[in-house]
This record gives sequence, structure tokens and C-alpha cells, in this order.
Amino acid sequence: MHQAARWQKILAWSVAGLVSFVCLYPYYWMLVSSFRTSKAILASPLRPWPETLSLDVLREIAMVGGTPLWRYALNSLVITGASTVLGVVVTALGAYALVRRPHFWAFRLLRAGFMVTIMYPYMLLVIPVYIVMYKLGLLGSYSGIVLFLALGPIQFFLLEQFFRTIPKSVIEAAVIDGATEVQILFSVVMPMAMPVVATASIITFLLNWAQWLPVLVVSRSPDTYTLPVALMNLNGELGVNFQGIMALSVLITIPVTLFFLIAQRRVMSGMTAGAVKG
Amino acid sequence: MAAAALQPARAPAVGVFWLFVLPFAALTAVFGVWPIVLSIQTSFTASASALKPSPTWVGFANYLAIFADPVFVASLWRTLLYTLLAVTSTIVLALLYALLLNSALVGRGRTFFKLAVFLPVVTPDIAGYVVWRWLFDQSFGALNIALAALHLPTFGGLASTSTVLQAVLVAELWHHLGFYVVIFLANLALCDKGQTEAADIDGATALQKFWHVVLPQLRPALLVNSVYALIQYLKTFTVVAVMTKGGPNDATNFLSYYAYQLFDQGRYGEATAMASVLFAIVIVLAVGLMRVQARGTGS
Repeated sequence: MHQAARWQKILAWSVAGLVSFVCLYPYYWMLVSSFRTSKAILASPLRPWPETLSLDVLREIAMVGGTPLWRYALNSLVITGASTVLGVVVTALGAYALVRRPHFWAFRLLRAGFMVTIMYPYMLLVIPVYIVMYKLGLLGSYSGIVLFLALGPIQFFLLEQFFRTIPKSVIEAAVIDGATEVQILFSVVMPMAMPVVATASIITFLLNWAQWLPVLVVSRSPDTYTLPVALMNLNGELGVNFQGIMALSVLITIPVTLFFLIAQRRVMSGMTAGAVKG
Repeated sequence: MAAAALQPARAPAVGVFWLFVLPFAALTAVFGVWPIVLSIQTSFTASASALKPSPTWVGFANYLAIFADPVFVASLWRTLLYTLLAVTSTIVLALLYALLLNSALVGRGRTFFKLAVFLPVVTPDIAGYVVWRWLFDQSFGALNIALAALHLPTFGGLASTSTVLQAVLVAELWHHLGFYVVIFLANLALCDKGQTEAADIDGATALQKFWHVVLPQLRPALLVNSVYALIQYLKTFTVVAVMTKGGPNDATNFLSYYAYQLFDQGRYGEATAMASVLFAIVIVLAVGLMRVQARGTGS
């Protein structure tokens, strides 16, 4: 019996170890390759460490498609940051109202509209959104990109799920004390909601950082492209620059990876919250 | 009586909630409902006039045109087949891996294994797929070099029509699996341990325990995961845009990608007709799945 438990344990660790290796190896290969010249990568692709630790590649990808790299990086930060703040504030207020007045016909209609929106194949929603942006004169503008990225399903479900758990008695007590709805929101509900708002913000940031198609479609020139769109362009270029592609991938991956490792519990429980219980 | 007394107090409060909901409603209307309505409307107009204020109505001509297009019909079947394959493997693998991580066997390793499988979920998909593209490369890819070193037959990867779907699926599983594993784990944590212990006392085998005790309790996660996976794989796009461009020989030309290509060529009418078809499939399958599941639980 004890013997059996031992080989079972070894087997379990081996399987989990192998799966983890497959999950993590691409990061390792990406990182090592970003330090190696394209020629060296082609000559010995599996070399476990780079020949030199030079950062020369940064000079090579200082310009992508005629636009400086710092511009893409700045766009990524601004667009992701703005769409996260806007998205979380707007979604939190909206979800709160929908939870507090769930039977009001207009709110039910709105929730249904939102559900249909997130069921619509996202990549194909981008096609008519292009037409909408054209009609509103938002094509090529930062505001167009930020507004579109602000809406997302996970932050909505996460916040809605949380607001539903607030006991009615808490709000009723505040009403009896003579608080207005605005006061209740800011001095009763929001302090309670802060941890969830933080989680929703981190998740929204991670997801919006990765977005590329809406950015590409709403943009009119590389001036509003983000890092993933620059990577997409570099990946599509002829005469493949391995090292540049890998270096750019590392630049895109590092910030979100650090962000995730710091807040891993929040991110994992937040992204799956409401899914099972709701 | 008490409820009636509350009514008048509630009625004026809706006004404030209107204010709270307004920005969210505006975004949903302008970037959700309006584009969808516009898309359906555009699918009934001629492409050349789609962006004009008074488009030319052509009835079902775009729908007839796409169903007469062999590339579209092939793409539709390919998308459905791939979705079936991908959803099944995602659910089965995620469930097995969650059971493994949930067992006492991995013990303290659980935190690390969970992190490793979830990290790709938050990694920007493009960055992951460009790496996989080169790992699969016929001559320089790590995968084939490793296979050759082990004296195993090489893998055709993205270059061969017979292996490209598997290669794309592997890259997508890498990116998505962790999400489904963590949902199963959350559900497993809620499972009633007493029931498993009772089955132990009754002398049930591991398989019997899984089938009769654990699996029924995993219904919520199974439903959520199936619906999520279905919606997600039906719209497979980025992996194709990065790794294969729909090739080789249209072998990965899925619906989303084909529709997007037509949109890029300005064929708005046909592109939006394809979007409507895909949307209808998503709605029918997702709602159907929820119905089946609801009937199963007997609620």
C-alpha cells in the first residue's frame, strides 16, 4: 500500500512536471533567442543559453515599420491604462445599478444587450465597429480605441457577482440612517468593493494589454499602434527577423508576467469567479 | 403591506441609478448593440454601398452568395470540426489535469503547477503564438530537433495540411488550458468530501467514485467550461493570423479569418453575412447546451 502510493506520487509529479515544462519552455526559448542573432538561432536553435548577453537587438527594433519603438510602448501604456480605468469605473457603476434594480425593464433590456454583445464573435464585431467609428468620426483616434476596449465580459461578471453578495440589510441600514443612494455608493458600497475593483483592474489591464485587432482596425496609421500590433507587423514582414520578433515578444510579455506573478491569487480567482458559483 | 410601503421610496431612487448606468449603457449601445444591428443590416446590402448613407438593399443575395462559395462552405465545416475537436480536448485535458492537481499526490507542488499552466492565459496571445510558430518550424524548430534526437518521426507542423490543425490546436491549448483547469479546480474545492468518504466506506473503486460521486458535482464547471470553450473556439482567429494565414492550402482558413479577409477587401456585405451565420451558430449551440444542462440537473 505504501509502495503503491510512492510510485503514484512519482508518476503524478512527472506528469505535472512535463505539463509545466511544455507551458514554460516557450518563455525560456523566447528569452534566450532574444539575445541571439537570427543567424545563430538558425545555426543551433536549441542552444540553452545565449552566446552573449548584448542588448544590441534593441537598436535593431528601435524602429518598426518606420515608427519608433518607444511610440508603440507609450501607446500601449496609455491605451491600456486609460481603457482599464474607464472600463472598470463605467462597468462598476453599471453593474451596481443593474444589481440594485434588477427588475426594472430598461435595465433588463440593457443586460440582455450586453449579453448578446459578448456572445457575438469578437473578431467579427470589429468589422461593424469599424463602420460605427467611421460614422462617429473616431477612426484613427485614441478615444475610439480606448472606448471600444473599455467594455469587457470578465470585469462585468466579476463586479456583478460581488455586488450580488452585499447583504440587503447593509444597504437598508444606511437607508434608515437617511443616506442618499449616492452616499450609500461612495461611503458604504465602494469601501467594501475596493478589493474586487482592484482585481477587476488588474485583469482588465492584462487583457487589454494583449489586444491587437481592435487597435489595428480603428487605427489609421502606426501612430496609434500598440506593441502587439507592432509585433504582428514584424511577424508579417518578409525576410524574417527572428531576434527582433523574440525581443519584442519579451518586451510585451515581461510586464504582464510580473504583474501576474505579483497578483496571481487575485487574477486566477478573479478570472474564474462567478463562473462556478454564478 | 410592508412591501407596498417600500414602493414609493424606491421609485424616485431609479433616477439616480439611471445616472450610474448611463455610461455603461452608452458604451454597450454604441460599441455593442449598434454594431451588431449594423452588421445584420449590412449583410442585406450591396458591399459597394455599405458605407453610404442610403445603401442598396439586396435581400438575401449575400447569404445566397456565401453559401454558393465553396471556400466558405468548406471553411464552415472546418470551423465546426475544429471546434468539436478543440472543445472536447480542452474539457477532457483540463478535467484530468485539475483532478491530478487536486489529488493529494502532488501536495505542495500544486501552487507551482497551477501557476505554470495559468501563466500562458495572461500572456498576450500574439507573443505566445510567434514563439510556437518557430518551435513548430520544419528545419529550425525545437520540436523537430528534439524528435530527431529521440529518433522519433518528425512532425509536419504548420507546413503540412495533415498536421497543421493539430499544431494550431496545441498552440491554442497552451494559451487557453489553464483557464479551464482553474475553473475545474474551483469547482473541485466546493465538492462535498463526505460523499467521497462514504463511497470509500462502501468500497467503491476510484473510477466508480469519479463517475458517480465527483462528476455529478462538477456539473457547474462542465457547463461553464463547455459554453466558454464553444464560444472561444468557434471564433478562432489570432492563432491563424499569426501562425498560418489560413494555410497551407486553406487548411486553417476558419470562418472568422475568412470573413475578416473579405472585410479587408471591402466585401462588407458578404463579410457581415458570414458574421451573422457564425453568430447564429454560437447562439444556437450555447443556448442548446445550457438547456440540456438545465434539464440534466432536473431544475
